Amino acid sequence: MRRTILAGVVICLGVVGQVRHEDVMKGAGENWLTYAGTYAGWRYSPLNQITAENAKNMVPKWVYHVPGARGLRSSPIVYQGVMYITNTNSVYAIDARSGRLVWQYADPRAQKGGVNRGAAIWGERVYFTTSDNYLVALDRQTGGLIFNKKFADVEKGTTSTSAPVIAKGKVIVGSAGGDSGMRGFIMALSAETGAELWKTYTVPAKGEKGAETWGDLIEWGGGAAWLSGTYDAELNTLYWTTGNPWPDYNGGVRQGDNLYTCSLLALDLDTGKMKWHFQFTPHDTHDWDAQSWPMLVDTEIRGQKRKVVLHANRNGYFYALDRVTGEFLRATPLIDKITWAKGVDDKGRPIQLPNIEPTATGNWICPSVKGATNWMGQSYNPGTGLLYVLTLEQCGMYFRSSQEPQPMKNFSGGGATEEGGQVVLRALDPKTGNRVWEYPMTGAGRMWTGTVSTAGGVIFSGDDDGHMVGLDARSGKNLWYFNTGELLTASPITYAVDGKQYVAVASATAVFAFGLFEPASGVEPPVVRMKK
Amino acid sequence: MRAIAVVFLTVPLLAQHGRYLSDSHHPSIGNPEAIAAGTKLFMGSCAGCHGPDGGGGARGPNLVRRSLWHPLSDEAIFQVIRKGVPGTDMPPTKLTDDQTWNLVAFIHALTGPASTNPVPGDAAAGKAVYWGAKAGCANCHAIRGQGGKTAPDLSNVGGSRPLAVIRESIVEPGKDLTYLGNEAAVVELKDGRTLRGVAKNRSNYSLQLVDGTGRLHLLRMSDVKELTLQETTAMPVDYGTRLSRTELRDLLAYLAAQDIRPAEGKGSK
Repeated sequence: MRRTILAGVVICLGVVGQVRHEDVMKGAGENWLTYAGTYAGWRYSPLNQITAENAKNMVPKWVYHVPGARGLRSSPIVYQGVMYITNTNSVYAIDARSGRLVWQYADPRAQKGGVNRGAAIWGERVYFTTSDNYLVALDRQTGGLIFNKKFADVEKGTTSTSAPVIAKGKVIVGSAGGDSGMRGFIMALSAETGAELWKTYTVPAKGEKGAETWGDLIEWGGGAAWLSGTYDAELNTLYWTTGNPWPDYNGGVRQGDNLYTCSLLALDLDTGKMKWHFQFTPHDTHDWDAQSWPMLVDTEIRGQKRKVVLHANRNGYFYALDRVTGEFLRATPLIDKITWAKGVDDKGRPIQLPNIEPTATGNWICPSVKGATNWMGQSYNPGTGLLYVLTLEQCGMYFRSSQEPQPMKNFSGGGATEEGGQVVLRALDPKTGNRVWEYPMTGAGRMWTGTVSTAGGVIFSGDDDGHMVGLDARSGKNLWYFNTGELLTASPITYAVDGKQYVAVASATAVFAFGLFEPASGVEPPVVRMKK
Repeated sequence: MRAIAVVFLTVPLLAQHGRYLSDSHHPSIGNPEAIAAGTKLFMGSCAGCHGPDGGGGARGPNLVRRSLWHPLSDEAIFQVIRKGVPGTDMPPTKLTDDQTWNLVAFIHALTGPASTNPVPGDAAAGKAVYWGAKAGCANCHAIRGQGGKTAPDLSNVGGSRPLAVIRESIVEPGKDLTYLGNEAAVVELKDGRTLRGVAKNRSNYSLQLVDGTGRLHLLRMSDVKELTLQETTAMPVDYGTRLSRTELRDLLAYLAAQDIRPAEGKGSK
């Protein structure tokens, strides 16, 4: 029988082909090939079977319960009818039409736990990173290991949580762990072998340019790169954000701007060389990581057509920068209540108000530590010309500890509370930064889900109460909702198999796929013969 | 349907096994020195009946693939070694408490991944056996991206299975229920096409087939006219005689070293 299999004539109607650069460049369609669906970070799909008119007919198509999952952060990848989703140190390949498991890969002996935000696909391989910094390449059809290669030391405080982004055969990975002291970096590894191609630190070494913006703790300065970024193929530039300086809440031990934390970095894909940087929050003391998507959009700003990078920041402002030069173009309030700055000057530097530092007894500041927005996937819809961003109207108490900072001891120089507040999905006009519509939610401000938008004129997102929702992209009107029964902690995507459009999202413990209602047709029992 | 049953059975199996492992608090369990001392005792007095890897022999049962429900605790194994099993070939012993616990520690370690235990044989010679034509393992199995795709990937076989279980799945593959998730299949489709390969995950409604070239086909059972499944494993059943004892031992040493998490400095490939 074995020989028959090997020698047998095979008629192929299965999963063939491989993911090439031009496939990812095309953006989303039937497939969803990269975390944000497009290199530009749009989370937009030209699929239009589900429309504002028929979204009311959506129903769940299947559910896959990820074994042992608690708070999945993974945004699915879909290629030729197979969905790839990650959990901590594991990957699941699921039949995207039926929800049946195809294969799973798990590395239970990884030295670290923690969240994982997703996989990447390139050629014939699926890639993800383990929490203890191994890049793992798997055969996309069988889940067999091709290689696993360590790219950083967990002993130095670095872990890995973000989905890799692959461009021109380079796997771009980042670094997490900035709240306990580490030195952030962004790396390119070979998709073929896992070998290191370049490594760019987000915090300078002593003596390097920018080191003058730090004190003695520079070696543990943070600036983690825990969310993947975006890529402009024409400019051959990666746009990657960086996290807070360490210790988070005690700025007294690190006087200066603390470059290049809480920043957006523009890096050359081939060399990793920093083309420019823009720091949103110099000398941050509120843990306002810049981890929110740098959205690459060409639009008019003050009547002039420009290549822009849009960025909704945790510090409360919505920025537009020239993505060729890094020039600051505009910042507008993302939320209603900002109490730490009275605005942003003409260079983009925040105009800070007095008495905003965390204190021993607590200082009440808006936004809260979770920020005005966070890593939830935003989307840009070229049909409406609008950007859809989850925002959080929330304040909190910020405390400072005067203890001696100890790296890698789960010490962040203080702490913060998140109190009350409300999540509001907002549609923003990239040209002006103005709000066009908003969708307020109920809940406790704990969700992490983002949005996906479609040519069908629908925005899919999750609300702060565990419902998947479909909204009219032009008006924000609710078209459809479904109660998943638990917190939504990852961003939705859309894809198609056999000409049918699906919307999928990972909830805290499961993956849900939705589509338009079709009457069931009974299945005849298959003819199965057993051969001795 | 059996394939699915096996998949789901694995979960309680591992859970039960894991609970069993974590139940033991004696300091010898997991202690490398105790395991090493236990190895010597085992090879001298126990291996003759239970096999060098604890996989069982003519006179002694398999100590690795133990009952899934209510397996013996380490304390109960201690008592069996001490008192023997009346009416069987298992005699009582006069070992000290420490010696007995060393033996329990070794038996306990045998149920762990092969890569974590000392393994007899020459892994380099086993590598040649694995990739050579006589054994032909690579025709169907892959290790780190090399080899066939129709049979289970072996990149982590040593890191996930006890040595005795690997040996058993080579010499008695019919006993290894993994094949139920990898049934050789011929699929006749209603549109007249025929596919041959391995049925990976079958329900009454869908089927995943990996064909001889390693391509995955996601099929709806409503598109299938007739499905023919091989009732037994597609793995050759003659390795017990096809390979010499030395070849088999070396092949096992090579497979035991296949681990996605090799210990630092322990070269295995």
